[in-house]
Amino acid sequence: MKKVIAFRPLLLAAVAGAIIATGCVAQESKKGMNDPPALAPLGPPPIPADNLQSPAKIAYGKMLFFDPRLGGDASTGCSTCHEPDQGWSWAEDISRGYPGTVHWRSNQTIINAAYYSKLFWAGSSKSLESQARSAARGGVAGNGETGIMEARLALIPKYVELNKKVFGTEWPLERDAFRAIAAFERTLVQRDTPLDKYLLGDKTALSEEQVRGKKIFEGKGGCIQCHNGALASDEGFYNIGVPGVKRWEYDGLAQITFRFEIYAKGAPEEMYRTVKDDPGAYFRSKNKWDLGKFRTPSLRYAVYTAPYMHSGQFDTLEDVVDFYNVGGFAADGRTTGFPETKSPLIKPLGLTDDEKEDLVAFIEAFSGEEILMDAPELPPYAAIFTKAELQAAQEAK
Amino acid sequence: MGVRVTSGHRLLAAMIGIGMVFGAQAAKVPDLGPLPPIKVNKAKAELGKRLFFDKRLSGNAAIACSTCHDPKQGWTQNKPLSDGYPGNGHFRNSPTLVNVAHKKVWNHDGRIGTSLNDMTREMITEDYIMNMDMRIMQERIKQDPVYLEMFKDAGYGEPSNGKVRKAIPEYLKSLTSRNAPFDTGKMSASAKKGMKLFKGKAGCIQCHNGPLASDGKAYNTGVPENFDIFLDPNNHQAFISFAMFQGIENYMNLKRDPGFYNVTLNKADIGKFITPSLRELKYTAPYMHNGMLATLDDVVAFYNNGGGKDSKKSSLLKPLGLSKGEQKDLVAFLLSLSGDQLTTAEHVWQGGYPAEYTAIKDWKNVRN
Repeated sequence: MKKVIAFRPLLLAAVAGAIIATGCVAQESKKGMNDPPALAPLGPPPIPADNLQSPAKIAYGKMLFFDPRLGGDASTGCSTCHEPDQGWSWAEDISRGYPGTVHWRSNQTIINAAYYSKLFWAGSSKSLESQARSAARGGVAGNGETGIMEARLALIPKYVELNKKVFGTEWPLERDAFRAIAAFERTLVQRDTPLDKYLLGDKTALSEEQVRGKKIFEGKGGCIQCHNGALASDEGFYNIGVPGVKRWEYDGLAQITFRFEIYAKGAPEEMYRTVKDDPGAYFRSKNKWDLGKFRTPSLRYAVYTAPYMHSGQFDTLEDVVDFYNVGGFAADGRTTGFPETKSPLIKPLGLTDDEKEDLVAFIEAFSGEEILMDAPELPPYAAIFTKAELQAAQEAK
Repeated sequence: MGVRVTSGHRLLAAMIGIGMVFGAQAAKVPDLGPLPPIKVNKAKAELGKRLFFDKRLSGNAAIACSTCHDPKQGWTQNKPLSDGYPGNGHFRNSPTLVNVAHKKVWNHDGRIGTSLNDMTREMITEDYIMNMDMRIMQERIKQDPVYLEMFKDAGYGEPSNGKVRKAIPEYLKSLTSRNAPFDTGKMSASAKKGMKLFKGKAGCIQCHNGPLASDGKAYNTGVPENFDIFLDPNNHQAFISFAMFQGIENYMNLKRDPGFYNVTLNKADIGKFITPSLRELKYTAPYMHNGMLATLDDVVAFYNNGGGKDSKKSSLLKPLGLSKGEQKDLVAFLLSLSGDQLTTAEHVWQGGYPAEYTAIKDWKNVRN
């Protein structure tokens, strides 16, 4: 495998992160310092010291996750776009978005989101708590604001009760609601995939095909250069040549959101007028060498989360493997709008059809049983004051 | 009292003095009169008209300005409390927009005293009103070829948030009273009698004066609270969101609308609301900031009783002792301040809107 000196700091950080995050000790390796961390069984998710888990908090967070009243017009909650039966994601190229809009990026699964230290495709949030809040407030996502969100929470007696028990304040605070949602999301993990079982010693957990695929993954396919460690993600930023959203070329609603995102994220005017692909991590650094880079996604649970990539341009894992095999081009020849920043790691792989099949079979080993969940029954609103209290206040005027 | 009264004569003199001061003040009140004409730029107003009726100016593209300011309902909604944004309700009566450009202060609590430009921004962006991220709004507008043309024709160039906030106020200038009997001089005998009462015995003119029949100032008249604000969680959430955002303390425990207090944070101003114009009342029932009075008869009866119950009620309000006939005359006069309904194509956008957004052709190669 090629050693890539330029990525050493990132990889080291990822190794350290993986150890802290999973509690797994890095595997003994005869490989050099620059080799990526090996695939590893997934440990328990990291729990931030300032937002510890508790059954009540998780129960509160679960209800909030499924409650559309957190969205601006009370129609759009977390689960609206992260649907359990769509892989806790959204099964279209780009996410459905707030009513009257469409999003501009593919929706990522909630499953195992707890392990990321960088949330969103461009890594703009550093915690589940802030990710959930940003999504709930974004104009093409939840379009909610603090005022109306806290007001609605206060008018749902069950939430007032749960909030008081968990966070101690008389009235629910919006930020605490997102802490509860994050606590619930930290329960949505999958650690018993065929790969986990295999890595923990059950050599029957992978088929022969998958074992061959694993070799390709770690060798000729070079996948492990970025998809490594227990999460199968180094959380680094790369431009691998994924083309932009095709829909932008013919869908007026999608064109609106594209321009809005470029405008809202603070692009210079000339860029607003001319850019036609998602600048990705550029918006974090405003360095032109970050144009078109996105954080490596985990491969876990991928069986359920099609379509793939930040722009949702590939419907199947086979398409994804084909894309890599030709060095980062879609079947129709489309590629990133920022070819100048494309990673040198992406090169034609020369995989045979059998090898591609083996690789796909192995990638499927990152997914276990589908995690399904019914939405909980949501508690109703109730008035805070009685008519008698209001009458008394009227009399006292 | 601290005033030493040495003789009955002096007391009498003092009383006369007070009376004279009051009389002098009353004389200073501006008279009712015709509204001054406003110059309106036609192309800009035409653009503003299309924007005003366009649902794409709200976050979820479900409501327009005209949803709560409906031309067929006197540019308001004929219900006590405005609809507000889908998913919540509202806590105040939607005011008419006819003559809105003549005002100097907007909202029942008077929280905007700058311009209709600011007022437009407030209505479009507030989470309980239209909940619109104006950056998305701008891009929606730029996606509509009709707007591209209209912005150009209006001299605005490229569509932008700032230009929307100019075009809508320009259009609102065109919404002015037309052919009110008071203005045309074709008042009934009863209305004429009512006008005398208005300026005299009933004392209405103390606050309802000038061309708008409003002094633009805040008073507590003791209008009873509308309990539906607090008993309906949809309305209450809009109220809480508003009060929280405005920085009103103890907002979770408020059982009344603080009104002008919101502007001054002076407790003496709790329950004060800006004097509304009396023009176009014929079409804008129910009345008062919270829609608590259903008819003009109710309103006149309310004032005849000296207003409502409130320890901070304005001292201007006292039982008036109007006879039934006088009350009828007063209502007749109030109705004479209403003119034609502005419900034709001159004021109402009838050009429709595209069912969906047209895609920009050759998107990859054209400049945005």
